[in-house]
Amino acid sequence: MLKINLQYDWETFHADYCVDIPPGVTTLLGGSGEGKSTLLHLLGGFLDGRGEIYFNDASLLSLPAYERPISTLFQSDNLFPQLTVWQNVAVGLSPSLSLNKEQNQKVQWALDKTQLLDKAERFPQALSGGQAQRVAIARALVRKKPILLLDEPFSALDPSLREEMLYLVNDVTQELGLTTLLVSHLPSEATLVGGRVILIEQGRITAHEDVSVLSETGFHPHFSRYFGVSNSGER
Amino acid sequence: MVECDNAITGTNLLFFHTIKRLTPALIGVGVFLLVGAASLAALLRYSDLPSWVGYLQQPYLWRVVRFSLWQALLSSGISLLIAIPVASCLIHRSFYGRSALLQLFSISMVVPTIVAILGLVVVYGRTGWLSHILGVQIPLYGLVGILLAHVFFNMPLAVRLLLQGYDLIPAGQWRQASQLGFSRWAAFRWIEWHYIKKALPGAFVLIFMLCFSSFAVVLSLGGGPKSSTLEVAIYQALRFDFDLNKASFLALLQVFICTLFAVVVYRLAPVNRQDASLLAVRGYALKDSWLAKVADGVALLCALSLVIPPFLAIFDPVFSPVFLSTLQSAALWDAVLVSMKIALPAALLSLLLGVCFGVLARFCMDRPYLAFLPNKIEHLGNMILMVPGLVIATGLFLTLRDLGLGLQSSYWIVVWVNAVMALPFVLRALMPVLYQQERRFRNVYLSLGIYSWARWRLEWPLVRKSVAQAFGYALLLSLGDMGVIALFGSQGLVSLPLYLFQLIGSYQLEKGACVAVVLISLCLVLFYCSSRFIGGVTARVKN
Repeated sequence: MLKINLQYDWETFHADYCVDIPPGVTTLLGGSGEGKSTLLHLLGGFLDGRGEIYFNDASLLSLPAYERPISTLFQSDNLFPQLTVWQNVAVGLSPSLSLNKEQNQKVQWALDKTQLLDKAERFPQALSGGQAQRVAIARALVRKKPILLLDEPFSALDPSLREEMLYLVNDVTQELGLTTLLVSHLPSEATLVGGRVILIEQGRITAHEDVSVLSETGFHPHFSRYFGVSNSGER
Repeated sequence: MVECDNAITGTNLLFFHTIKRLTPALIGVGVFLLVGAASLAALLRYSDLPSWVGYLQQPYLWRVVRFSLWQALLSSGISLLIAIPVASCLIHRSFYGRSALLQLFSISMVVPTIVAILGLVVVYGRTGWLSHILGVQIPLYGLVGILLAHVFFNMPLAVRLLLQGYDLIPAGQWRQASQLGFSRWAAFRWIEWHYIKKALPGAFVLIFMLCFSSFAVVLSLGGGPKSSTLEVAIYQALRFDFDLNKASFLALLQVFICTLFAVVVYRLAPVNRQDASLLAVRGYALKDSWLAKVADGVALLCALSLVIPPFLAIFDPVFSPVFLSTLQSAALWDAVLVSMKIALPAALLSLLLGVCFGVLARFCMDRPYLAFLPNKIEHLGNMILMVPGLVIATGLFLTLRDLGLGLQSSYWIVVWVNAVMALPFVLRALMPVLYQQERRFRNVYLSLGIYSWARWRLEWPLVRKSVAQAFGYALLLSLGDMGVIALFGSQGLVSLPLYLFQLIGSYQLEKGACVAVVLISLCLVLFYCSSRFIGGVTARVKN
């Protein structure tokens, strides 16, 4: 269980997140600028906040990014353009890139799982957007961190590719028993990956429900407000 | 048919408006080229080509060339070797005095040569601090002294050039490195080296050229003909023999060697460009270790021990009783006035030329058929580093003499040559920020029809720090000039560095040291004023 009680202030934006997240996929919904990515950056250790983060009763807040049991995939800049696909994955296991036999096998397994074995020697510039994000997922796989944070990593992909990636995320989460947080603007993505859904408004968690709430005929009051605003295009 | 004619008329009109908007920039660059070409042509008119074969057979010439190359290679190599770990340390560590150190680095590369030499003599000379404290004697006059001076000037420059290379690293890479637990060594190996190795050839060529054409340092610390460079040989040919033929031969030889060197290095150099990143730059912590701390400490200590002591030594005479009497000397204040009269217009002219180059390069940037030009335009401005200032000055003097303007034009020659010699530094400070504005706002400008001055007005808050830095560099370089002024300096045109040189030459070392304090203080005050008044209240030295 991931327990979050975090506060963060930046100019006029004040965020206060308080939620317990069970293993499985949880989608963070909310309009632009409401504080979804901020929560992920606080969890990942890329922003300094106040409060507490516990994962399986171990406190994470004082740990630097690299010591947290977390892998984060961002919208961009997930790969090193100067390293090959193989190196980009391997660097997740050993920053010096000196891998033992077992680690080599792990990289091979991750590339196989993400269908990138034949692209292992290519550089990121030679990959499509979807392939590049699969490399980032492969690296997250080899790192075997129990928490996976996805900050709209597939938003630049076309719908079919995005769907494919979300299925991959779902499979990986189930298979490895991860706690995955996915930031999205689209309720359809939350429905696709299943699990739970969180609504973030003005830096606060205003709803935390099973994803089935999105397909119910009578909407949850907070979600209905979010969809209403989204549909009118005011945000 | 009518539509087609209208289209042609429209295209012509657009072309006419474009040329009209570019006219000031074209005039600026045109004058720069024309004056340069006229100067070289005037010098070549006095050449006797058959006699050049004879020069090539002189062992003295080859000794000078060999020494020029050797000291320039060593100086640039050592400067860069020290600069690489120092730049890495400055990027990763925040410590008390870090920004002051960056300020010091930005000033030390343009500190007047003659003043720095004085500082070096006080520290490393026979009766200097080093000898007093550690009992160590350094053979200051000769290669060692030249290297010490060149590293003092160019290591900070190299650090700043490498820091510009670091600016090209997308922040996303640091974020990934932080997430993946990179050590400093892993970050250097997989991220930093990839970017700085692209900045190294440019930095190496620039420092090599500065050292290859070094004049005042070699003249003061060379210690005789054994350690002479081509630039000093040109000075001797002009000043003592007034042998224009030999001077033009040596100048062309210098240009040839520098060009050859630059072409070879740039051919081997990889292309340097910003990788796409949507992330704003901010610091991300890497895994630290005691080994990384020790390595950073050693690198920083090495840099500080090379730069700080000569600076402190410059201010040593403040406590001397001679200082006050020197301040009361009328000759000193006359020299201050002459220096200001040269440096201020030279800096302004250099800045104007830099802006002209910048405007043309920006215009060419995103036009597919001209996209190859911005680099070339920048190289054109930097080419001045290959041509000795003395040669341009002499050529210009001969041109003006042919036009009926004799010695009375020497003031303007000094101003012009100082302006063009500072141009490479002005371009280094200006161009990156001008390119950045063009990339950011080009489409907005085009859609809203914003051109010329309107663009400058909009961009001023974003570019003023770089403009201040460019102006400050040009000002300090012109204030400290000891090349052209040594050739044209006469009664009534004695600048502070020349006055200082004359005092040292007449063994008035104590008084000279006091004049050096005035000169460096003037530099610091003017650099501060430039940053404060042009750069704005929050202006800080850019990384």
